[in-house]
Amino acid sequence: MTTPNMDSALQTFIEECGELLQQMEDALLRLETEPENQDIIDAMFRAAHTIKGSAGLFGLNEIVAFTHVVENVLDQVRSHTLPVTGELIAVLLPASDHIATLVGVPADEPLDADTRTVGNALLASLQAFLGHSDAPASAEARPMIPHETPVYSSGGGEAGTDNWHLSLRFGPDVLRNGMDPLSFIRYLGQLGEIASLTTLSDALPEAETMDPESCYLGFEIDLKSDASKAEIESVFDFVRDDAIIHILPPHSEIARYVELIKSLPEDDKRLGELLVASSALTQRELEEILFIQQCPGQQQPQMCPPKRLGELLVENQVVQREVVDSALDKQKQVKEHKFQESRLVRVQADKLDNLINLVGELVIAGAGATMLAQRKGDGALIEANSLISRLVEEIRDGALQLRMVQIGETFSRFQRVVRDVSKELGKDIELVITGAETELDKAVVEKIGDPLTHLVRNSMDHGIESTERREAAGKPVKGKLMLNAYHDSGSIVIEVGDDGAGLNRDKILQKAIERGIVSPNANLTDHEIYNLIFEAGFSTADAVSNLSGRGVGMDVVRRNIEALRGTVELDSTPGEGTIVRIRLPLTLAIIDGFLVGVGESAYVVPLEMVLECVELSDLDRQALEHRAYINLRGEVLPFVRLHDHFEIAGNGSRRENIVVVQYGSHKAGLVVDRLMGEFQTVIKPLGKMFSRVKGISGSTILGTGAVALILDVPSLIQQAAASEAGMNGQAGRNGDAGQATQVGNGSADRTTASVH
Amino acid sequence: MAKTIMVVDDSASLRQVVNIALTGAGYKIIEACDGKDALGKLNGEKINLIISDVNMPNMDGITFVKELKKLANYKFTPVIMLTTESQEGKKAEGQAAGAKAWVVKPFQPAQMLAAVSKLCAA
Repeated sequence: MTTPNMDSALQTFIEECGELLQQMEDALLRLETEPENQDIIDAMFRAAHTIKGSAGLFGLNEIVAFTHVVENVLDQVRSHTLPVTGELIAVLLPASDHIATLVGVPADEPLDADTRTVGNALLASLQAFLGHSDAPASAEARPMIPHETPVYSSGGGEAGTDNWHLSLRFGPDVLRNGMDPLSFIRYLGQLGEIASLTTLSDALPEAETMDPESCYLGFEIDLKSDASKAEIESVFDFVRDDAIIHILPPHSEIARYVELIKSLPEDDKRLGELLVASSALTQRELEEILFIQQCPGQQQPQMCPPKRLGELLVENQVVQREVVDSALDKQKQVKEHKFQESRLVRVQADKLDNLINLVGELVIAGAGATMLAQRKGDGALIEANSLISRLVEEIRDGALQLRMVQIGETFSRFQRVVRDVSKELGKDIELVITGAETELDKAVVEKIGDPLTHLVRNSMDHGIESTERREAAGKPVKGKLMLNAYHDSGSIVIEVGDDGAGLNRDKILQKAIERGIVSPNANLTDHEIYNLIFEAGFSTADAVSNLSGRGVGMDVVRRNIEALRGTVELDSTPGEGTIVRIRLPLTLAIIDGFLVGVGESAYVVPLEMVLECVELSDLDRQALEHRAYINLRGEVLPFVRLHDHFEIAGNGSRRENIVVVQYGSHKAGLVVDRLMGEFQTVIKPLGKMFSRVKGISGSTILGTGAVALILDVPSLIQQAAASEAGMNGQAGRNGDAGQATQVGNGSADRTTASVH
Repeated sequence: MAKTIMVVDDSASLRQVVNIALTGAGYKIIEACDGKDALGKLNGEKINLIISDVNMPNMDGITFVKELKKLANYKFTPVIMLTTESQEGKKAEGQAAGAKAWVVKPFQPAQMLAAVSKLCAA
């Protein structure tokens, strides 16, 4: 079974198992809260059932054997002989994990000892539920032949033939059940050579009394074959209930033929002649049989009273019409229903990526066309172009929407993590999920799992106190872990919160100073101190537990999130809990941008971060030399002059503008030469050599074909804040105190800078 | 003309394997993922045999057979039920509904092929 076809089927099987096991796990977790829900139980049983059935096809006997027991247990649950208990779920969960492990083992590789030990332990506990520990975990299908009469093949007075003799009398319902007698005989022909075949039409009634849907035929067959009796018998498995079947092996005793003739409905003498004719018996043997035989043969078998053919036809025409109509009706209903149900289409991810890429190119090409049209000044052309760009925009949104998935599935995976980890830690923790319907890019969803897991475990391990301590603090014994998601100004925010003791501010500060992450005389806010835990080489746990503290710190979490163009920050209230907020861009491919010009170059600011644009007044300009902030309606607004930041030659324009940008709770101004308006921006990543350039997150191509750089607003905001603080502290542009405020988003080299 | 067989099962991999085995033997295959889907896919086409699972979402195999037997074009179409050894009760139910043939899961492709050719050997 190693044809490419089978390989792809096996791949399907593996994917299918993944989904089914996920369903099973979800069902098990739901069952904890609603143990009576029959739908959930049925779904679980079906999952196990399907896995077992399919695994058998691929000869994956380990899976079959194990799943068989799981299925048996679930079957008992389904039929209410086994109650749903916490203990049962506690065994079924690891059992479903074990199936996943088994599925992951290549078919031709033996199981390693560990897996086998785990499997056997699980089997033992599963069988304990079944009430008997010796339940057969047989992987083989039960043979399809339930009973077999002993074969009389030798002894005195045997008939002189090498052929099997089969007497078949098909019942009247055979055709109605969809069984074609001819088909069985053809199949029989595959087992050997049919030496002779006689059709018995004795039971056939007169034409007018015949029911065309009934079968009246019988067959006497001599078969030359090496097959066993079981094999020959199995040919007729499906009609055994509806037909009289006698199979006599070669060299059967004469007595067996006597019994046969007796038991068949037809006239004895005629049958006997038939057997002689087909050389199953010799004439002498027949005489012997007829002599032995005393009592007369049976009567014709009871048939249901046949209808007159004419009547039937008339009747049929009437009935047929109605049946057809109702059948059509039914089909239509089913189709309509199906239409409503099948709203999901599976698409390969790379096809979608391709589409998004193309849409990106389309956006760029559209921008080019719009620009040309404007240059030409042809009104009709401009109008046509603006219509096209509007449509392109819609296509872009639609295409991006295709990649959006709800975060709920990712969240609900944590039900299991929380359950397992709280058992392990001996804490009672409940997971509260909100905002599960919030959508974000699939690419982001795939990558957010690991950092989230780390945060969740961290919260459970360090955040939520032990039961005793919670009781002592007068809190509810049951700890709460919250997962929340929502959209906020073009980003998605994911929160991991707990109602634990909160972070110990002093401990963090002390440790940070110890590790040289901040200088001892830095003046930090609580918020800044809390976010120090995301710095590289920071760990507050005194004792390294099994879960967190495996050397993978929160800095890794931050790095993972930054790789997604996101940020992470943390808030904590002593005694009330901690909340970690991850802020991620909605999509990684196309954004609405705001185009600004500095010198000869163009830059793009992500539109969702732009708050407003104001002109840089002469007053502010004069003040530029002394401070790095302006007074925006009574508010202090730090700013960055892009001219200086990117070291662009020449003086800025006379009338500079400030683009006010916001990221999270921080605001800053970007001083630019020109404002050039909104622009659909297809993000093209920058090469590796630009990875160290601060303030740039990517590039894009303008309608003219020129390249524009996309500004990394979060890092620019930090820089603005830093230089403002730096100037205030009289410590120059790269002062210590300024750097220290950058916790939560600083990079490793900046941290080292602050150490010396 | 190649005989047409409909495979009704919610497991895509099972359908795929049966499809490979039977296509290899010269049959034409129509796949359906549950009873409802199958009824929708009949379309009045000539179908020589239907292979159906018992346990399926939306519409189970037994209801499917009952519905099938109500359709003039398909009431004589033979149905092979896929059962497991733990489903003796289901088997009886299936037979009462009109499915007289069955294959016990888990099965090897060859077993399925044998069952099929008993019912509609080409």
